[in-house]
Amino acid sequence: MVGMLRAMRRTLDALYLAGGAVGAVFMILILLVIVAQMVARWSGLIFPGGPSFAGYAMAGSSFMALAYALNKGAHVRVSLLLAGLGRHRRFAELWCYGIGAVLAIFFARYAIRANIWSYTLGDVSQGQDATPLWIPQIVMSVGTVLLAITMVDHFVRVLLTDHGGHEEPDVTEREN
Amino acid sequence: MPVRALLADDLRPRLIAATIMGLFAGGGWLLLEFVGVDSVWAKTAVFLFVLFFLLGTGVWIGLALIGVAYVGIEIFTPRPAGDAMITSIWATASSWGITALPLFIWMGEILFRTRLSEDMFRGLSPWMQRLPGGLLHTNVVGCAIFAAVSGSSAATLSTIGKMSIPELRRRRYPEFMTIGTLAGSATLGLMIPPSLILIVYGVTINESITKLFIAGILPGIGLALLFMVYVAVWHVVWRGGMPEKDPTMSFRQKLWNSRFLIPVLCLVFVVIGSMYRGYATPTEAAAIGVIGALVLAAAQGSLNWASFTDSLMGAVRTSAMVAFILMGAAFLTLSMGYTGLPRALAGWIASLDLSVYTLIAALTLFYIVVGCFLDGISAVVLTMAVVEPMVNVPAFQEAGFSMIWFGIFLVVVVEMAQITPPIGFNLFVLQGLTRHPMSYIAITALPMFLLMVLMVVVLVVFPELATWLPETARTATAR
Repeated sequence: MVGMLRAMRRTLDALYLAGGAVGAVFMILILLVIVAQMVARWSGLIFPGGPSFAGYAMAGSSFMALAYALNKGAHVRVSLLLAGLGRHRRFAELWCYGIGAVLAIFFARYAIRANIWSYTLGDVSQGQDATPLWIPQIVMSVGTVLLAITMVDHFVRVLLTDHGGHEEPDVTEREN
Repeated sequence: MPVRALLADDLRPRLIAATIMGLFAGGGWLLLEFVGVDSVWAKTAVFLFVLFFLLGTGVWIGLALIGVAYVGIEIFTPRPAGDAMITSIWATASSWGITALPLFIWMGEILFRTRLSEDMFRGLSPWMQRLPGGLLHTNVVGCAIFAAVSGSSAATLSTIGKMSIPELRRRRYPEFMTIGTLAGSATLGLMIPPSLILIVYGVTINESITKLFIAGILPGIGLALLFMVYVAVWHVVWRGGMPEKDPTMSFRQKLWNSRFLIPVLCLVFVVIGSMYRGYATPTEAAAIGVIGALVLAAAQGSLNWASFTDSLMGAVRTSAMVAFILMGAAFLTLSMGYTGLPRALAGWIASLDLSVYTLIAALTLFYIVVGCFLDGISAVVLTMAVVEPMVNVPAFQEAGFSMIWFGIFLVVVVEMAQITPPIGFNLFVLQGLTRHPMSYIAITALPMFLLMVLMVVVLVVFPELATWLPETARTATAR
């Protein structure tokens, strides 16, 4: 049982990191698309749908990294009450992860639904690229599901274990 | 090992608390869904309560905005909230306009991991030490230069501070001035382009980001000059206690010392210049910036696999954080439209018949208070849906206060909030860097705060400071 839980812990952490890595690949893609577009413009060629592709890569980078950023404590929040609670902070964190899990599941549910609708209705992009929208929207479904998993994971751990639920944003990490 | 060993010792209070919270949230939802609220006042009250409650209890801002927007749509309209949510969020998350964000963030992250902070101090100090106020000016000028490659004030602060604080301490400069000037000048990161907050503002109200960037240049330089004048005046008035000067150098030695700084200045010039001349859109300028920063880092020998992935992952985190706020804000703006709150509020303000200047003063106070609790980007996206109908009116335009001007005004005011307790983010960063208590840092920053108030006055009296330069710029379009 404990072995299984440990394995799950490792898998989940790897999953969040993988989401972040995919986000990073998408960020490099944004750069490449923009550079390609500039080069095309200067050399008189056209790169149809460049702005749309950059937009999809942007969505990919943000959605896929949502869970990773949460896990690293990068998402901003009003920390006045949390910091003021001191050793009772756990109760506020419990609330945050609880309501966060509910909202994230809600978010993921509708993201998947919209994704399926785009597929069945055959929605295509209104830009020059005419991409079927369900393809880029996959990142939204996967990313929001990852976010929901992270929320539930943290909620369970804050509720049952000594995990405090927060990592200080790495301001000091930047000193090196 | 039994599973019990993984669990915390006393679970009962937590389980009870979780049950109460569940009942509270579930009960609230049931009330909304099945009982409903009738009067507009009650609806507004519920909406605002949920907004303040979610934000105040520390729910991540992006999610909190989604939650509030959902409640808004549920109580004000019979529409299904979920589908409207995804439509608005997808449109924002995949829009071309915000692609400048991750790239500018990445550019700053790359340069942040180079030797730039040492080079900055070594390159600037020979030029600054003859000025009254001496090396304190390196704080101001260093921040202004780094602000031009980075869009955030926290990054600016830690880059400049990690080198200049120990150097100035070693030379026995008064600690009060070292920290104060640093706290104040770092806020230039938000003003001098590229500025994350101006990108977010531009995307939120559909205004040209290039124009906003160009508009920030003169006020940014103006603010830096104000800080430098303050340092000089302080030196002349106070006199005592200034440390020995470093040995003077010849012009060629000075130039040699700042040889690493010159490529950075060139990069700044290319990035901002290409936008100003209309050769590149902000996103393209950001792409040039990323490549330039990679080349600089490689030339310095500080580019390796570890620093590359660090910068990339750091940029991914920050960019996902900002994107999440923007997603929530997109849905909230939609929901706000249904609630009718912005229109009602704008109508009410109009009926008061206030002068433009009274309204500006009120908004200044409002944003300083909001900024005490929220970071700059959240403060802007959260309030613009309500504030835009108030200020995007003929009376403002006639006084010279266009939406471009308002963006710059907003940045100065939000900058002030960065150095005001309890939540001023720059104060946190400085606390980490210097180990002084927050209250001391806040007091050192007070003179800079007052200078920014002066800057707001200057902007109100001479709106051209922000609006003149963008009118002379050409803008590139993406297609």
